[in-house]
Amino acid sequence: MDLNPCMKHQLIRKTVREFAENEIRPRAAEMDKGPGFPDDLMEKMKPLHYFGLQVPGHLGGADLDTVSYAIVVEEISRVSAALGLCITVHNSVGIYPILRFGTREQKQQFVPPMAAGESIGAFCLTEANAGSDAGGVETVARETAHGFVINGTKIFVTNGGICGTILVFAVSDSDPGKPGVFIVENHTPGFSVGEIEDLCGMRANPVASLFFEDCAIPADHCLGIPGQGLKIGLTALDTGRIGIAAQALGIAQAAFEESVSYAQARQQFNKPISRFQTIQNYLADMAVQIDAARLLLYRAADVKDTGRPFSAEAAMAKLHCSTTARMVTDLAVQIHGGYGYSREYDVERYFRDAKVTEIYEGTSEIQRMVIARHILTRPT
Amino acid sequence: MKICVCVKHVPDTAATIKIDGETGFKDSEIKFVVNPYDEYGVEEAVKLKEKNGGEVVIVTVGKPEAAATIRSALAMGADRAILVTTDSQFLDASLTAKALKAAMEKDGLPDLIFTGKGSVDTESFQTQYRLAHSLGIPVVNEVSTLSVDGKKAVAELEVGGGDKQVIEMGLPCVIGATKGLNEPRYPKFPDIMKAKKKKIDEMTLADLGLDASAQGVTLEKLEPVPERTGAKMIEGSVEEQVTELIRILKQDEKVL
Ligand SMILES: Cc1cc2nc3c(=O)[nH]c(=O)nc-3n(C[C@H](O)[C@H](O)[C@H](O)COP(=O)(O)OP(=O)(O)OC[C@H]3O[C@@H](n4cnc5c(N)ncnc54)[C@H](O)[C@@H]3O)c2cc1C
Repeated sequence: MDLNPCMKHQLIRKTVREFAENEIRPRAAEMDKGPGFPDDLMEKMKPLHYFGLQVPGHLGGADLDTVSYAIVVEEISRVSAALGLCITVHNSVGIYPILRFGTREQKQQFVPPMAAGESIGAFCLTEANAGSDAGGVETVARETAHGFVINGTKIFVTNGGICGTILVFAVSDSDPGKPGVFIVENHTPGFSVGEIEDLCGMRANPVASLFFEDCAIPADHCLGIPGQGLKIGLTALDTGRIGIAAQALGIAQAAFEESVSYAQARQQFNKPISRFQTIQNYLADMAVQIDAARLLLYRAADVKDTGRPFSAEAAMAKLHCSTTARMVTDLAVQIHGGYGYSREYDVERYFRDAKVTEIYEGTSEIQRMVIARHILTRPT
Repeated sequence: MKICVCVKHVPDTAATIKIDGETGFKDSEIKFVVNPYDEYGVEEAVKLKEKNGGEVVIVTVGKPEAAATIRSALAMGADRAILVTTDSQFLDASLTAKALKAAMEKDGLPDLIFTGKGSVDTESFQTQYRLAHSLGIPVVNEVSTLSVDGKKAVAELEVGGGDKQVIEMGLPCVIGATKGLNEPRYPKFPDIMKAKKKKIDEMTLADLGLDASAQGVTLEKLEPVPERTGAKMIEGSVEEQVTELIRILKQDEKVL
């Protein structure tokens, strides 16, 4: 693997950072009062291909490799993790399953509007009784002469308040052991959006419950073959985890940068607090964790790009990046003292945003299960 | 139409410059960017190309590291680039203009040349004039509106008090771009990917028959700007204040 990001990757980072610093940074704290993203900001991002990062050119996307993808998500999240969440969920678990499992017609129909940012993607698995355990899903897809009728309630859906194209994980009425993934558009009769969640962090993202009441969809809105749902879901999450890892890394990076400059500026006992060994140790620990996180992330992205199985690598990256985000933002608040606990300073937002990276798209406990399964089943 | 855009690789104005030796600075520690005024030139050139077809060539005189900066301009939509490499960040405007001219002559003279109104590092505001003069073509600096058709260009520039000067000239000519001319774009991802593959022709000053030591102006020394000392408030009636001010200027500061 090339550990020296090549010119292309430097240019991607530079371009996204410039956009993020100029267009997003000045509004990030205001957006955090959310929910929702400013329309004009979304409009600026659409023609730049933020909504079709890895979509092939003929479907209207930028056709980026996964390392570039991770860099984009990291850089957006470094400024606004909630917007980073929107981008990564839309691009990974929203679009990727259609690209990977969709028919030619499904790709032609659903992907171009998504890649253009006209239809925002959402992926819904979680329900009141199904979180880590997808086996608990109660949403039902009943097969009819014309297609499927979906009934159920999904909760904690990222982008829920603004979604246009929704992937719904549901079980079959005839065989509950055979779930499927169904594409539902937001204009389908019987579909509605519940209240936006009042979250600790990621407050700009309109995470919501979604209701499906006798939502009738045509037969060709079933992704892959009926009963293939678990495989599609798990594959989607493998990709999604690279994005969440990148998001967590962006939060950690932002908190680290703020900490370094604050430690050099803040004077106590007649010297900058960066002269105290304890603070130096904090900064050193943060730097090591972040570097390791970045390497694990690029490794996972690189393995995916070379077409090899990357499930364990993605789980490792997600586990370590999210742990790093939580640890680094915690130390960042500590380094800022009382100011770090105030909304006046961005680290307070980073601290709130970081925690959930250890929860969604598989909790850290679930990542360890995935990793352990690979260790124990790997041929020796 | 062939358009050349002169692009300089300059330190970001937000960067903290650490002086290194007499005339150098630690350039590996800071961020470099496309000179912001040149960006307006790149944008205008790319817009003209998108409208009328043709080719946009970036021409840079600078250190080899400038290639990274050139890629940013290529990502905005320019087609290819020429980099005349030098050893130093500082080259006087006269030699820079000669190098630009020689590189353009070698490549084939363009129909239109853009520069920025000045560069944010040395701010000598001379290169565009020297270049135009040596090519014997018209030049207008600080252009905020431009239209180009067939054989002529019409440039508008603010002359203060809300007045505008409108200048019509034949092509080829040199346009010094400034804020207001357009809104430079953020490159799209597919264009960034394409930029990686675009050609940058590298050549040295010597390849162009120029001598790096033949500079009219040489940099003697770089010094940090001294930190400003505290302001002094003068109290009292207007008369007392004026008297005290004059005393300070004469006796303490010895400027009168
Ligand atoms: C902001 C936000 C956005 C979200 N976006 C989406 C989305 O877009 N789509 C979607 O489908 N979901 C989404 N979720 C839901 C998220 O994926 C779930 O919350 C997560 O999978 C955990 O499920 P749960 O909350 O039901 O917790 P539970 O599964 O009930 O877990 C509770 C605790 O038990 C642990 N645990 C569970 N099983 C095991 C086990 N076998 N071994 C050890 N420990 C275990 C967990 O790790 C956790 O610590 C989102 C959540 C949040 C907060």
